[in-house]
Amino acid sequence: MSITQVEAAPVIRRKLHIPFGLTLVLLLLVLCALLTYFTDSFLTERNIPNLLRQGAMIAILALGETFVIITAGIDLSVGAVVGFTSVIVAWLLTHDVSIWLSILITLGIGLGIGCFHAFGIVKMGLPPFIITLATLTSLRGIGLLMTNGATISITNDTFTDFSRNDLLNSLFGIDISPFDVPNLFAMVVLVAVPAWLFLSHSRWGRYLFAVGSNSEAARLSGVSVTRTIFLAYILSSVCAAFVGLLLASRIGIGNATQAEGWELQAIASSVIGGTSLFGAVGSWHGPLLGAFILATINNGANLLNVNSFWQRIITGGLIIVIVYFDQLRRRRR
Amino acid sequence: MTTASPTLAAGVAADRVPILELRKLDKRFTGTHALKAVDLAFMPGEVHAIVGENGAGKSTLIKLLTGVHVRSSGDIMWQGQVAPIATPHDSIALGINAVHQEVVLCPALTVAANLFLGDEEVKYGFLQHRAMVRDAQKILDEIGFNLPAGAVLGTLTIGQQQLVATARAATRGTKFLIFDEPTAYLTRQEAAQLFALIRRLKARGVTIVYISHRLEEVFDLADRVSILRDGELVSTSRIEDTDEERLIRGMINRTIEQVFHKDEVPFGNTILETRHLTGRGFSDVSMSVRQGEIVGLYGLIGAGRSEFVLSLFGREPATGGEILWQDKPVKIRNERDALSLGIALAPESRRDQGLCLNMPVGFNINLPVLRRLTRGILIAGGPETSAAERQIGDLRIKTASRHALASSLSGGNQQKIVIGKWLNHGAKLFIFDEPTVGVDVGTKAEIYRLMGTLLQQGAGIILISSYLPEVYELADTLHVFRRGQLVASHGHKVASHEDVLSEAIGV
Repeated sequence: MSITQVEAAPVIRRKLHIPFGLTLVLLLLVLCALLTYFTDSFLTERNIPNLLRQGAMIAILALGETFVIITAGIDLSVGAVVGFTSVIVAWLLTHDVSIWLSILITLGIGLGIGCFHAFGIVKMGLPPFIITLATLTSLRGIGLLMTNGATISITNDTFTDFSRNDLLNSLFGIDISPFDVPNLFAMVVLVAVPAWLFLSHSRWGRYLFAVGSNSEAARLSGVSVTRTIFLAYILSSVCAAFVGLLLASRIGIGNATQAEGWELQAIASSVIGGTSLFGAVGSWHGPLLGAFILATINNGANLLNVNSFWQRIITGGLIIVIVYFDQLRRRRR
Repeated sequence: MTTASPTLAAGVAADRVPILELRKLDKRFTGTHALKAVDLAFMPGEVHAIVGENGAGKSTLIKLLTGVHVRSSGDIMWQGQVAPIATPHDSIALGINAVHQEVVLCPALTVAANLFLGDEEVKYGFLQHRAMVRDAQKILDEIGFNLPAGAVLGTLTIGQQQLVATARAATRGTKFLIFDEPTAYLTRQEAAQLFALIRRLKARGVTIVYISHRLEEVFDLADRVSILRDGELVSTSRIEDTDEERLIRGMINRTIEQVFHKDEVPFGNTILETRHLTGRGFSDVSMSVRQGEIVGLYGLIGAGRSEFVLSLFGREPATGGEILWQDKPVKIRNERDALSLGIALAPESRRDQGLCLNMPVGFNINLPVLRRLTRGILIAGGPETSAAERQIGDLRIKTASRHALASSLSGGNQQKIVIGKWLNHGAKLFIFDEPTVGVDVGTKAEIYRLMGTLLQQGAGIILISSYLPEVYELADTLHVFRRGQLVASHGHKVASHEDVLSEAIGV
C-alpha cells in the first residue's frame, strides 16, 4: 500500500505544478526560436553566454524574493542590498582583506540586513512593505556615505575574472568555450538546488507556506512564526548580498547606486513564475524561469534595436498577460 | 418595510400563491449532483426551516436563490411567474436577501456605513456621516438590536457583526430573507434579539427561510420544515406534525442516542491540574483532567472559557496560579511549550485559526507532525504520504485527494482535518473549542466517535461548547463558567439542563 503511494506521489505533484512551469519553458523556447529566426546575432557564441550572465543575477534575486513572498510578505530592499554589498566587498578587497573573508563578511552583512527586516516585522509590528522600503532608501545612502559618492574600483583580478570565466575552465582549466557554462550561470544552479530541497522537501519550506497561508493556524499547529519570518527575510537578503558579490565581480566596481530597480525585476520574475503576492503559492523553478524570460526579452529587444523605452512597456504588458493567464488557470482548478 | 403593505393588501389570495416556488430545480457541478429536481413552495409570511447534513444541498439552494450560481435546469417562480435569477443583482431586485454564515461586510467601516453600503446618504456630493449614524441607530433601535451605530464593525464581536449583517439584509425592502446558521456565533441575548426580529418580519409578511443545525431553534421559530438529504427533498411538513427524532431520522438514519454515543472508559492518572490559575479574562480556576476523561466547560460567550484554555495552550500565558502537568509544576509560555508537553488545541474558528485553507488537505494534516516526518534535514516522502492517507481514511474525510485544497471541502470535513491533524501527534491532552459549530449531525457523531478513540488511547479531553446538550451528554465532569470564574461543577448528567443554564446565566 504505502509503497505504491510513494511511487504515485511525485506523479501527482507534477500534475499540479509542472504544467505552468512547462508553459514558461515553452514560452522561453518560443522566444529563443523567434529571436534565432529573426536575428543573426541571437544564437551566437558571444550573445548566449552574455544572456545567461545577465539573467543569472536577477534569477538568484528573484529566488530569494520568492521565499519572502510565499510568507505573504514583500522585500523591496533587494536591489539596494545588491548595490550596498557591492560597495562593501569592493571596500574590503581594496583594503587587502582576502577574497574568502570578504565574501563571508559581505554575506554576513546580508544576513544582518535580513535579521533587521524580520525584527522590524515581528518585534516592532511594521508591515514588510514599510520596513524594506525604509532600508531600500537608507542602504543606498549608507553606501554613498561610505565612499562619499565615489565608485570603488576593484583591482583584485582573481575576483573580477570569476564572472567572466566559465565553469569547467576555472575548475579544471579545460577551455571549450563557447560551449562551457558561464560561472555566473553555474551560481544559479548552486543556489537553486538547495532552494529546491528547502522549499519542496524540508520542514522549514512547508512552514513558509503555512505562515503565508494562515499564520494563526500555523502558530496553533506549533510552527514558530517568528523563526519562519526571520528565515525568509534572511534568505532573501543573503541571496541579494550574494548577487552583490556577483555584480561587483562582473562590473569590477563597488557603487551604491548600482542595481537600481532590480527589486522590481525580481518581484516581476517571481510573479511571472507563478508566485502569488497573497502568499502560500510559489515554487523554486518559477522565479528562475521568470527571470530568464525577462532577460531574453530584453536581450532580444536590444538585438532587434527596439527602443529601450519600448522594452519597459513590453515588460509591463508581459507581466499583465502572464499573470492573467495564471489567474485563469487557478480559477479553473 | 415598504413591502409590508402590498403583501398584506393581497390578503387571503397571497396565502394561496407561493411567493417563491422551486420547480424541478436542479444543479450539477463537475463531479457532483448537488440538487436533484427539488420541488418546494414558500408561502408569504411563513418561517420555513430547511434542515439537512452538510453537503445535503442547502448551501447550493441558497446560492441559486441569491444568484451566486445559476441553475442547471428547472425553474424558480417568483409570485407565480418565472424569475430568471442569474446574478446576485437579479435576486436583490426581486427582494431576496440572505444572511450568510460568515459575515461579508467591511470590518474597517462603521456599523452605519456598513448598513448603508451602496445606498449612502449624500448631500451636494458629500457623504452625510452624522445623519447616517443617526438614521442607522434609529433603524437598529427599531428592530431591537442593541448595537452602537457609530462603532467600527471590526471592533465588535462576531455575533454582533452577524446582527449588523442581519439588520442590513432585513431593512432593504426585503420580501424573502434567508438565514444560514444565524445563531452559530451569537450569545443567548443576541439570539433572542434575532428571534424577536424574525417574528416581527414574519408578522409583516416577509418570508423567512431558516437554515440551522440547532433543531430546538427550528421548533421554536418555524411554521414548516423541509428536510434535504443528498440533494433531494425528503419531506416538507408542518412543525406540529413532526419532532426532533423524526427530523434527524429524515436527515440521516440515526437516532439521538447514537449521535451522542459514548463508550465508558476507565479514568487513569491526572494529566493536567490547575491551581488558582488566573489570567486575562478569568481568575482563580482550579480543575483537573484525568486520562480517559472528558471535562466539559460550559458558559456563555465571554464567560472566560476560551481565555482559560488559550492560557493552557500558551497563547496568552497565565499571570497567576499554578499548572501541574502529570503532577509536576510547569510553565507554559507559548504554543510550542504546550505542544512539547503534549497539549493540542482544535481552535474555535476553523477558517481563521484552524486551517491553511489555500493549501492541500495533506499539508494541513501533516503540519503539526512535520518534525517527526523529517529524516535528517528533509521530509521523508513515503511516511508523509502514508500519514496523510491514513488520516483521510480513518476520519472518512470526503476529499478528491490529499492534494485537494482544504477550501474545497465542506465545513464538516474541514473540521475533521482540524481535529484529525492532532491524531498523529500523540498529544495527551486535547482541547476542543466548539468542535461542532456549523457541523451536521452525521459529522458530529463522527467527531464524538473520534473523541472516544482518543480517550481509549489514554488521552484526556477538555471540551468547550456553547451547545448545552453536547457538553451535558458527553462530559464526565462539567464545569460552569460565569464572568471569568468557575462557578459550579457536576458529574456526568447529574444536574439538570435548567440548573446548568441558570448557573451559567447567574439567576
